[in-house]
Amino acid sequence: MKTSAKIVVLVTLLLMLTSVANVVVAQETFMGKTAAEIFPIPDVAANEQEQQLAFQALLAANLPDGTALGAGKTMTFGVLGQGVRGGISGTIYFWRNAFEAATGAEMEIVEVPYNELGTTIPADFLTQQYTYDAFIGAAWQYGDWVSNGWIQPIDQWIGDARFPAWSPEDTAPAFRALLQWGGQTYGTQMDGDAQLFYYRNDILNNPDWQAAFEAEMGYPMPNPPTTWQQLLAVTSFFNGKDWNGDGDPDDGISLHLAPGGQGHFHYATLAASFAVTPAEGDDPRAVTKYDNVFWFDPDDMTPLINQPGHVRALEFLQELAATGQEAQFGWQLGEAWDNFLGGNAIATFSWGDVGSLSQDVSRSSIKGNLGAAPILCSEEWYDREAGQFVTSAEAPNCVGNTTGGSWHPTMSAFTDVPELTYYFMALLANPTINFYNATTGWQGIDPCCTYQLYEPRGSAVSEDYTAVGFDAGDMERYINSYGSNVYDKPTYLTYLRIPGTLEYIQETLDIRLSEAMTGQSSAQEALDATADDWNGITEDLGVEDQLAIYQAAIGYSP
Amino acid sequence: MRRQPAKYFFLMPGVVWILLFTLFPLIYSLYLSTTNFRMGREPRSVGLDNYAEILGLDGEGGDDKARDTAGFSVFLSIGSTTLTLVFGTFVAWVFNHDIPFLRQMRAVLTMPLFAAPVAVGFLGVIIFNEVNGPINNILQGLGLGRVQWIIDPWGARFAVLITDVWQWTPFVFIVILAAMQGIPDDLYESARLDTKSNWSLFRYITFPLIAPALGTVFLLRLVETIKVLDIPTTLTRGGPGQVTQTYTFYIYETGLKGSFQLGDASALSYLVVIVAIIISSIYFWRVRARFE
Repeated sequence: MKTSAKIVVLVTLLLMLTSVANVVVAQETFMGKTAAEIFPIPDVAANEQEQQLAFQALLAANLPDGTALGAGKTMTFGVLGQGVRGGISGTIYFWRNAFEAATGAEMEIVEVPYNELGTTIPADFLTQQYTYDAFIGAAWQYGDWVSNGWIQPIDQWIGDARFPAWSPEDTAPAFRALLQWGGQTYGTQMDGDAQLFYYRNDILNNPDWQAAFEAEMGYPMPNPPTTWQQLLAVTSFFNGKDWNGDGDPDDGISLHLAPGGQGHFHYATLAASFAVTPAEGDDPRAVTKYDNVFWFDPDDMTPLINQPGHVRALEFLQELAATGQEAQFGWQLGEAWDNFLGGNAIATFSWGDVGSLSQDVSRSSIKGNLGAAPILCSEEWYDREAGQFVTSAEAPNCVGNTTGGSWHPTMSAFTDVPELTYYFMALLANPTINFYNATTGWQGIDPCCTYQLYEPRGSAVSEDYTAVGFDAGDMERYINSYGSNVYDKPTYLTYLRIPGTLEYIQETLDIRLSEAMTGQSSAQEALDATADDWNGITEDLGVEDQLAIYQAAIGYSP
Repeated sequence: MRRQPAKYFFLMPGVVWILLFTLFPLIYSLYLSTTNFRMGREPRSVGLDNYAEILGLDGEGGDDKARDTAGFSVFLSIGSTTLTLVFGTFVAWVFNHDIPFLRQMRAVLTMPLFAAPVAVGFLGVIIFNEVNGPINNILQGLGLGRVQWIIDPWGARFAVLITDVWQWTPFVFIVILAAMQGIPDDLYESARLDTKSNWSLFRYITFPLIAPALGTVFLLRLVETIKVLDIPTTLTRGGPGQVTQTYTFYIYETGLKGSFQLGDASALSYLVVIVAIIISSIYFWRVRARFE
């Protein structure tokens, strides 16, 4: 070959290589930024695997160019504050660079501690500061936010191609209802909170422990328990025994029961099946004066919290808590989770976080041994209409829940940059990004949507989870239970989201529950005191106003 | 006498400051205490009803949360004031002697005073941890068993008390040590001709001469402990239940958290102001009676 021909071939090859390299570079940047620039280690991503997985999710999200919306602008975002790598707030820090790259805007993040949620954001609106363009709070605050006109509907932008794609139709109906008020959508999907039941699959399936249980209790071990009463038998049996082989006695149950530690959610989840009855007829979820009501009488706002079903539920919670460490009466959420994840408790009931955190081997020693099941039913419950308790082990009362904050963004009614704000809200709701967030565990984002659930409820497959390092068996039990938990229960605990919800729950019920759990008062005394407190709050806020909002919130027509 | 208009100019900043930031809030909160004001809603005058409800003068038993939290505040005030005075005075007496490394130890001793109470509270969460905390580990090592510092009502009360005493003893120590060092040595030298008893020296010379300083510290500590909020907020969050919720904690929860009941909170606050005024009046009356 002549020298000139060799040069031509060489140049051609070089050109081809350059063009291939350019394609690769083009595929590996987002708005001209690399993975290392969007998710720098350790400032944003913890390691290279996290960086790459997040970047893949970002590229797959196919975000539209938002520079026309955001160039030169600043958005201020308020969020439940748990730090740069903490639950909920960590998500905002994690995706800030991507948002700024996509829009050319800047985002300021303001963290609000959990116990200040009821102070900081309302005070900002009440004093007409309007600091936040959007904020992530709990769904139970809608009563205050909507009735005061602090947040605005976002329906006009949903489906608009200028914004990241997401659809409320992907959200499980139970969670979708929490994004809406009065037929309008106020929030974008992000986190779906519902408590389900977790247990140690390896221990409950161990033939030796099964035989020991039967020998001690006189009947086969319920595996897994499906009622609260069965759970109590199981935790009573295992509590104090060294079933994990570490040489120390281990726990039956692991709960977070400190004041301010969100223990009232444990109570509500458990008490639902003791105090709520499904409606008779075609629609068991229909709200009547006696059925599917938990908090107040829907005709006059009389508190139901000290009714016999509630009292029995609190007594039961006292019995159940006694099958765990006494220290749990002073535990916050993370301590209870860590006790279970560390392999020291046979069971817990909590949010979806436990499912994803169990796969994080830096925090969990139970990966591969996680058992999960829909929230338990009760063999004993109070029929308020008949005025008597009903007992049935064969057909227990099953009441699901969407207990928790279901943390998600809402937009201030006073924002100067609504479209830019919506861009970020939609970014977080994008299925690819939301799926990634829910698999991290540390972000505190739980499954909310069909794309996270297996068939027949959703479109996810096992490989979606094993691809990020999750155990297939754990996910089979966890994801299926989560889906069943939010879709299949005959009826659900109504969600309290009226003005003053924080006062009713955190400032009174939470404290009274702590008093009962630490032996300062009986269950009846604690709940009677709660009812008194609630009457005072309702009177302060106006009985008629509260009643109208409560009826609308639970879907009751007198 | 010659008029000096310039003096008014120089007085003006101080007067404006007091009017704006002391008198106005005081008068406005007094007005609020006679309303049912919740932030975000129009206030309505209720006269003295807020006070009547708190004190039970309306025949409905009073505000049990106010009563319970006031009870804990009294416990904390008496306990912490007494213990900080006793420990602080004792340590000051020890350090008033010629002992090795006096300066270094004095610097170390005063360190807790410079920590933010919120940080001290969070430190207490670790120290009093019932499972892995150092205090319980030490008690366990000594064969004394574990104390339920956070979940037992009395354990939690003492955890807050101990933390507060630990932080504020150095304050008493510094003031009392300064007072002790102001006592002339020749007084002790003369007294030692009559007695060798340290207790007698302390009782008949040191104590009478540091009494004014002790009185001042007593008053400051008493008022300070009535206001304690940070340590129980972070250490126990007021629990279990609300047994470690101080009265000011309750005022904060009432007025600035969730419900924003500023009318009720103002009335609760004025009751503290009245108590503080009574305490200081008694103190100053006693001081005047003794020294004038």
